[in-house]
Amino acid sequence: MTSTQDLIERFTPELRGFGASLPDEFAAALGTLERRLTPEQLEAWADQGVKLAHHSLRSWEAAAEYFRASPEIAPRIDFDTLVEWGETAAELASSSALMSAAYVKATPALLDLLPAEDLTPLANLGERLCRGNWKSISLSSLFYSTSPALLGVLTLSALDEFVDVIDALTERSYELATACLETAAGVFGQLEADDREAFLRFARAVTRASWADTRLYFERGPRLLQAVESGQRADFLDLAARVTTEIGRQGYPLFAEAATSLAQMDPADHGDMIRFARRLATGSPTSAMEYLKSAPFVRSRLTPEQMERWSEAGRDILFIERNAEGAEAYFRLESTRAEDSLAALSARVELSSVGTTLRLYAKALTGEQIAVRSTEDLVDRGIGWVTESVATTEGTSIYLPPYVNAYEEQRANFIAYKVFTTHQTGRLEFGAFSYRYGEPGTYTGGTVLAREANTPPPSHLEASDAPQKLAAVTPMQRYFDLFADRTMIAGLFTVVEDTRIDQVVSREYSGIREALRRLQSYEANRRPDVRSMGLQAAFVENLLRASLGRPDTIMWPMPLQSLLGQGLAALRVIEQPGATVQDSAEVATALYDIMERIPNIVSDMLKDDWVAYDEDYLSINPMMPGGGGDGDMGPLVPSGEEVAFQNPPQPEFRGDFKPELVQLLMQLRLQQQGLQGDAVLSPMSAEQLKQLLENSVEITISEMAEGDLSSTLGLFLSNLEKEAGTPQTDQKTQQGEQDGSGGVEEEPGPMEDLPVEVTWKYYDEWDFRAGDYRPRWCRVGERLGEEGELDYYDDTLRKNHGLVMETRRQFEIMRPETFRKIKRLEDGEDVDIDAAIEFIVDKRAGTGPLGRIYWRRNKIERDVAVAFLLDMSASTDEEIEKQKPKYDQDDDFDDDPRKYFQWLAQRRAKQALEPPKRIVDLEKESAILIIEALEAIGDSYGIYGFSGYGRDNVEYYVIKDLDEELDDSVRRRVDKIEPIRSTRMGPAIRHTIWKLQEFEAKVKILILVSDGRPQDHGYGRDRTEKEYAVHDTHQALQEAKRAGITPFLITVDKEGHDYLKQMMDDVGYEVVDNIESLPRRLPSLYRSLAAE
Amino acid sequence: MTITQPQAFKQIAVEEFRLTEEPFYLPINDEIQLFEQAYERQIPVLLKGPTGAGKTRFVEYMSWRLHEHLGDKSNEGVPLITVACHEDLTASDLVGRYLLEGDNTRWIDGPITRAVKVGAICYLDEIVEARKDTTVLIHPLTDYRRLLPIDKRGELLEAADGFLLVMSYNPGYQSALKDLKHSTRQRFIAIEFGYPPRDQEAEIIRVESLCSAEDAQELAKLAEKVRNLKEHGLAEGVSTRLLVYAGKLIAQGIAPRRACQVAIVWALTDDLEVQRSIEEVVTSIFEN
Repeated sequence: MTSTQDLIERFTPELRGFGASLPDEFAAALGTLERRLTPEQLEAWADQGVKLAHHSLRSWEAAAEYFRASPEIAPRIDFDTLVEWGETAAELASSSALMSAAYVKATPALLDLLPAEDLTPLANLGERLCRGNWKSISLSSLFYSTSPALLGVLTLSALDEFVDVIDALTERSYELATACLETAAGVFGQLEADDREAFLRFARAVTRASWADTRLYFERGPRLLQAVESGQRADFLDLAARVTTEIGRQGYPLFAEAATSLAQMDPADHGDMIRFARRLATGSPTSAMEYLKSAPFVRSRLTPEQMERWSEAGRDILFIERNAEGAEAYFRLESTRAEDSLAALSARVELSSVGTTLRLYAKALTGEQIAVRSTEDLVDRGIGWVTESVATTEGTSIYLPPYVNAYEEQRANFIAYKVFTTHQTGRLEFGAFSYRYGEPGTYTGGTVLAREANTPPPSHLEASDAPQKLAAVTPMQRYFDLFADRTMIAGLFTVVEDTRIDQVVSREYSGIREALRRLQSYEANRRPDVRSMGLQAAFVENLLRASLGRPDTIMWPMPLQSLLGQGLAALRVIEQPGATVQDSAEVATALYDIMERIPNIVSDMLKDDWVAYDEDYLSINPMMPGGGGDGDMGPLVPSGEEVAFQNPPQPEFRGDFKPELVQLLMQLRLQQQGLQGDAVLSPMSAEQLKQLLENSVEITISEMAEGDLSSTLGLFLSNLEKEAGTPQTDQKTQQGEQDGSGGVEEEPGPMEDLPVEVTWKYYDEWDFRAGDYRPRWCRVGERLGEEGELDYYDDTLRKNHGLVMETRRQFEIMRPETFRKIKRLEDGEDVDIDAAIEFIVDKRAGTGPLGRIYWRRNKIERDVAVAFLLDMSASTDEEIEKQKPKYDQDDDFDDDPRKYFQWLAQRRAKQALEPPKRIVDLEKESAILIIEALEAIGDSYGIYGFSGYGRDNVEYYVIKDLDEELDDSVRRRVDKIEPIRSTRMGPAIRHTIWKLQEFEAKVKILILVSDGRPQDHGYGRDRTEKEYAVHDTHQALQEAKRAGITPFLITVDKEGHDYLKQMMDDVGYEVVDNIESLPRRLPSLYRSLAAE
Repeated sequence: MTITQPQAFKQIAVEEFRLTEEPFYLPINDEIQLFEQAYERQIPVLLKGPTGAGKTRFVEYMSWRLHEHLGDKSNEGVPLITVACHEDLTASDLVGRYLLEGDNTRWIDGPITRAVKVGAICYLDEIVEARKDTTVLIHPLTDYRRLLPIDKRGELLEAADGFLLVMSYNPGYQSALKDLKHSTRQRFIAIEFGYPPRDQEAEIIRVESLCSAEDAQELAKLAEKVRNLKEHGLAEGVSTRLLVYAGKLIAQGIAPRRACQVAIVWALTDDLEVQRSIEEVVTSIFEN
């Protein structure tokens, strides 16, 4: 007791100097400790505390913590350790009291997690972070205060590594380091124990490669990892760490994307994928990550086995061909090889690749000009078709889903497409839309007229304020008008007519009968449960099942068997050969009458009361039901809740059937063409149209529900009218469906009446590193050149009158060359004396050659097409410095500034009068000259300019198209050849090749006029790289040669010899030394090129 | 110079060629009657129509048939001289030329001269293919004069009574360069040959190829579909001749799809896309 009291008395005054509470803390601690420590120990302890308080300016705060913490820790460690601890605190205090306090304060919590001997090593870790400045001190303090939490999730050695990471970060940003440290415990807490070290290893790699990403990694890493299969996370992190170590800053973004991709894959596959990626990483780290990134897309096209083969092909590029760039492009899906191999392996069939075949197929079957389009297009047009996945037709086009992937084999998927198409063409070929009101069918009489007479007007029109019912616009509409429930009759008519079409198709096209049956069966197996439907819908559903050739799947309440029997018999009528759409209408009418006798309820009967139909469907005699009569359903009428009628879903391969709208469209089209087909039906008024649209059930309600009905209708109407007015040439579609190497896509801008119409087309680009094409990499927008003033053209002609006349004359001389003498003919204009003598001699000698001794002049038509491709890059804006030599000549101004300024002023005045010529001006003049020359000789020629920026926007200007006549607008366009932006030569050349290929000529020439090397944004690995562009241009020129086109380059780039050799290879080129000779040189070059 | 001929073949002079058996020809329209009357009135005939539509067969048939009409009991047709025109066919190829024989020369009649002399039907097949000078040559033969000038001999030859000039011409694939001149075409009556209607075509296929009636029907249906593609990838529709070939292969036991592939699809076009489309039509129509 006394010693305690002693100590208090001894130190209190001293301690009081630091702060009011310190003595109390001291006393409190003493009070607890005296029971544990010997007086000597107690004294040593107190002494240490007081020394700590004295240590530095604010170290009393550490001392306070010391007093506070000691009672807690003293029982858990031996005295020596306690002393060591105190010494550590003091040592830390020499760096910073704050650190010391934080350490001391954290100690009790630390002891829960650490053995006592690790306290000092931990303190050392924190000390490593301290560099003496206040930021580092506060970081270090933060470390101590969070260390208990960190140790909760990391081992001491892991913590050691973590400190390394934080330490590395401090070299860049203390804020970042602090943020990471703050969140670290939480971050690691989210990870599973096994992954934490791997997480750290990657963190270290990220920090080294791109320190700024560390925070992102700490924020998002754990969540990204969640998606990876738990056993694979460490491996994945190690992979990422390795990749990052090798490739640097891209490491983290790749990791994030790869993780996102993995999230889309089946976790069961993660192991194999990551293992594969790790193998790739040994050859190309980037490939490994690209592989993971692409995996979900590839997987969506391929089965796991196929994907394996696909991946192996990429791996072979890496390890067998030793082409890392190629492998990267492959796995990034930016290589033609990757796409080809994907397409070859994939069972999925894309409309874009089979569209042309199907279009011709449909054309063959129907003889009509039919376009094949993707259902995606139809939805956009807003004329009443809304479901995207089902096929349909609106009379002139067949709409098909963008891809089919239902079967495992490509051929099977294609056949599914074919069946889709055949059903749609069947509707056209076999007259599903040619219903004529009131006419009898092959098997049925026309009852509609009688029905019309007996039908009261539909109830919704009976109301007093209802508008006067207008005459129907189309026969189909008039027919549907006969029924109170349009949905029901439309549904029935669809089932019946589709049944008929399927029957006719399988009769007429026995080759696809099997495929049709398979598809029908496939659909039949996917039908919704009939027992949960209202009975009326169930009735339709059962008819549908019968019509799908699967009467075995029919389920129907026992008590109503006779009604279904009648229905099926009626359906059989339509299956007979020769049945027409008139029969379909009659059968649908009969079915409607049967259905009206069925209560539309969801039956509450037991499952057992639903039975399969008891007769063999195929043995049912086709028979129209008698009028009413046996409507007696007996005592067992099912009961249940009444529901609204809704048609069961349409089988996918049959697609939407909208006869009413199609007839309307056809009608509108006729009306627009001024060919009134049917006098009774025309002309239709807007009111009639509106009525049709309002009543029709073929328009999906959801579309109309939003907003004002009438305005929606108005829009709808104008869409329809526009639709009818669109000439149905399939040209556009055809182009759109071509594959990547040459697909033209017309992208109508948001404003339809934009003055410049741009046709987009995609081209591959050659990646020389990958040794492969990047598919559809560049988008070339072709447009007409702007028109300027005519004066420019005329002025140029006038100014260069002499040159023009000279060139013309030279070209005209070329013409006689086109008559060639052909010798050694059996007959001809005259005898070739030499040959005749030879012949006589031979004959006398006894050898008998043929008497080919005549010659004849044959007129050879010049058949040359040439395309000039002018560089319109910004660099052509450069002046041609012809003043410079002048300056050199009389640069002797005798150091007299006045003379110099005089000269300068003169020059300026001259320039104002006559602006200096730019390269582009020479291009324009050359163009004019060549136009004049070529008009003289009569060769076909086109003049094009190109520029643009980036791969998405290669601008391609048509000054004069190959098949265009020279007229004033062409002359005007020459004026507007202006420097614009970059020079992406490859796609411009490819587009010109395409143009020349489309043009028929024996000799084809492409002359490229440029002022320098090709360059563009993204035309190479980075801004400074030039090789990529040169290689791509080289490749494009080779493509031209392969296409039978003679390419030639004229450049004014005098310094270009370095790249020109490589770019041109064996393609001819000329460097025009004296730029101004370009207009003179171009025609003469042409003469030598185009000489046949 | 004598060459011993193995007697595996029959060698006759062109002007002696007559048909001895009735060729199969299924009339589609009134073309037989028209031709008979033209022959009677000595009006030259121009047969227009796509390749393989039966123009040549029709001429053969008529040459055989006309003996009846003329009251000849020999059971042989009137002589028929057929010249297939090509772009190097010159006037002297048709009229005749001098040949060297020893130190002398000898004149040899060309086919048209022979036809004029014996009063044969002279059939110039694909006349647009021939050189322009040949068409001018036939002008005096085709009007009331019925004369053949032989420039090199300085002679005029008057046509024998039975002589009739018949030309065929395919308006389908001629370019502007290869159109028939009006001064030429307006000397003929023109009989149009289209593709026969489905049922008749099926009958032709059946008779010619000896395949089953069902196969013949399917082939005729296929033809109708393929012809829908004319000018949409195909320059010409499939000819009846090709259908007959396909029918013959089918009759010999070749699977119909395969037979159509070799006889129709590949024969029609080299365009892969079009080939594929037609094959799809084939596989839709034929089961195997």
